[in-house]
Amino acid sequence: MSEPLNFIVVDDSKLDCFIAEKIIKNTGRSASVNTFQQASDALVYIRTLKPLQEPTIVFVDIQMPVMNGFEFVEAFEALSEEIRKGYSIFMLSSSINENDIAKVKGYSSVKQFLNKPLTNNAMTVVLEQFS
Amino acid sequence: MSNKDKIKVLYIDDEQNNLVSFKAAFRFDYNVYIANNTDEAIAHLRQHHDISVILSDQKMPDKTGVEFFEEIRKEFPNPVRILITGYADIESVINAINRGHVFRYIKKPWSEEDIRSSIDQAHKFYITTALLAIKNEELQKAYNELDKFAYSATHDMRGPILSVLGIIDLSKNTSDVSEIKSMLDMMENAMLKLDNYIQNLHDYYSIRRGEVEIEEIQFADLSKEVCDIYEVTSKMNNVKFTTKVSQDVPFRSDDVSLKIILNNLLSNAFKYQRKDIQDKYVDLNITVSATSATITVKDNGIGIAENNINQIFNMFFRATNEEVGSGFGLYNVKDALGKLGGKIDVHSVHGDGTTFTVTIPSK
Repeated sequence: MSEPLNFIVVDDSKLDCFIAEKIIKNTGRSASVNTFQQASDALVYIRTLKPLQEPTIVFVDIQMPVMNGFEFVEAFEALSEEIRKGYSIFMLSSSINENDIAKVKGYSSVKQFLNKPLTNNAMTVVLEQFS
Repeated sequence: MSNKDKIKVLYIDDEQNNLVSFKAAFRFDYNVYIANNTDEAIAHLRQHHDISVILSDQKMPDKTGVEFFEEIRKEFPNPVRILITGYADIESVINAINRGHVFRYIKKPWSEEDIRSSIDQAHKFYITTALLAIKNEELQKAYNELDKFAYSATHDMRGPILSVLGIIDLSKNTSDVSEIKSMLDMMENAMLKLDNYIQNLHDYYSIRRGEVEIEEIQFADLSKEVCDIYEVTSKMNNVKFTTKVSQDVPFRSDDVSLKIILNNLLSNAFKYQRKDIQDKYVDLNITVSATSATITVKDNGIGIAENNINQIFNMFFRATNEEVGSGFGLYNVKDALGKLGGKIDVHSVHGDGTTFTVTIPSK
C-alpha cells in the first residue's frame, strides 16, 4: 500500500474545487483534502501549518482574480525551505496559452502543468510519482 | 467660414514688408500667424498646436529656412513645411526636398495663386496624415483588446465547459442518484455562468460596433424594464430595493447603451452584498434635468478596496472572487458612457458600500 498524501486545491471556481476533491477522494490515498477559493487563504494555511509527516500535493489554478496562480507560486517560493520541502505543486489551467505553459516551466517548485478538467486518469498519472 | 475653421498658417520671413503683404493677402482665407525670426516662430508653434502649414523664407540672417525646418521637426513633426526661396538657392532646396523635410517650394516672387494652391494641398496632406495617425492608434488599441480577449476567452468560455466535462467524468463512476442530481445542479450553474459571459460579450460588441441611436427616453419605462429582473433577486436575497425616477423634461439618448449601463451597475450592486448583514439595500435614483440625466446606484455591500478603485473599469479586471463575474461589466459601462459622452464617479468604502454616480448629457 502506498503512503497516504495530503492535498490542497486552490481554484476560484467552487465547482472545480468540488471536482478535484471528489477525484482525490476516489483515489483512496488522501489523508486530508483542503480546498481554497482564494490563493491568499491557501498561503496563510501553508505558512501556519505544522510540518506534516506525509507529502502534500497542491493543485493550483492559474487564472484567478486577486491573486493568480503564478503570484501564489512566487509567494510560496519565498517561504522558508523548512516549510516548502514537503510540498509538490501542480498547476492547472483551462488556458491553452503558450506563454502560460512556458512560464510554468520557469518555476522550480512546480512539478508539472496539467490541463483542465482534472480527471481520474490524470490523477492516477500524478500519483504514480508518489508511490 | 468661421475663424475657428480656417486653416492655420505660420509664415516666417526676416523682411517685415513680406510679412505684412502676406498677411494682407491671405488673412481672409487663412488664420495667419507671422514671425520675423525663428524664435518667434517657435513661440507661435508652441502656443498653437493646430498650425497645419508652415511657410519659411530660405534666406534669413540667423539661419536658413531648411535649417529651421530640420531643427523644429522633432518637436513639431505634424505641420507641413513649405519653403519660399529665390532662384539662387535652388541647390539647397533640392536637397531639402529630397531629404523629406519640405513638402513644396515656392519661388520668389510668389504669386498669390501659387501660395494658395500650395497651402491647400499641404493642408490636405496634413489632414490625411493626422487621420492616418488616429486610425493607427485605434487599430493598435483594437489589437491589444483582441489579445486580451483571446486570452480571457479561453479561460472564461472554456472554464465552464471544462468544469462540466469534469463532472461528467466523475458521474460515470457514481451510481448514487442524489449525488448525480447535485452534479446536475452544478452543471446548470456552470452553464448559466457561460451564458452570462456570452451575454456580456454581446453587450460589448453592441457598444463597440453598434451605432448609437438617439431617441427620446422615458426613464420610468426604461428603469421598469431593467428593474423587473432585479425585483426577483431582491426578494430572493433579501435585499431592499428602492427606485426613484424624476423626469419632467424630455431626454434624448441611446436606449441600448443606457440599459447596458443600468443593468451592469445594478447587477454588481446586488451581487457584491455582505451576506452577514440584515439591512441589505440597493438604491437606484434617476434625476433628469433639461441638459443631463444623473443616475445613482448605491449599495451597502462589500465595497471596493482603495487600491483597486482605479482598475475596476479595466477589461477583465476583478477585485474579488466573492462572486462569479466576467470582468467585463464595468468596462462595458465605461465604454457605453464614452459613446454617450457621459462620465462616471465612484465612491466606495471597503466593507461598507459603494455608490456609482453616472452623468449623461441629453443629445
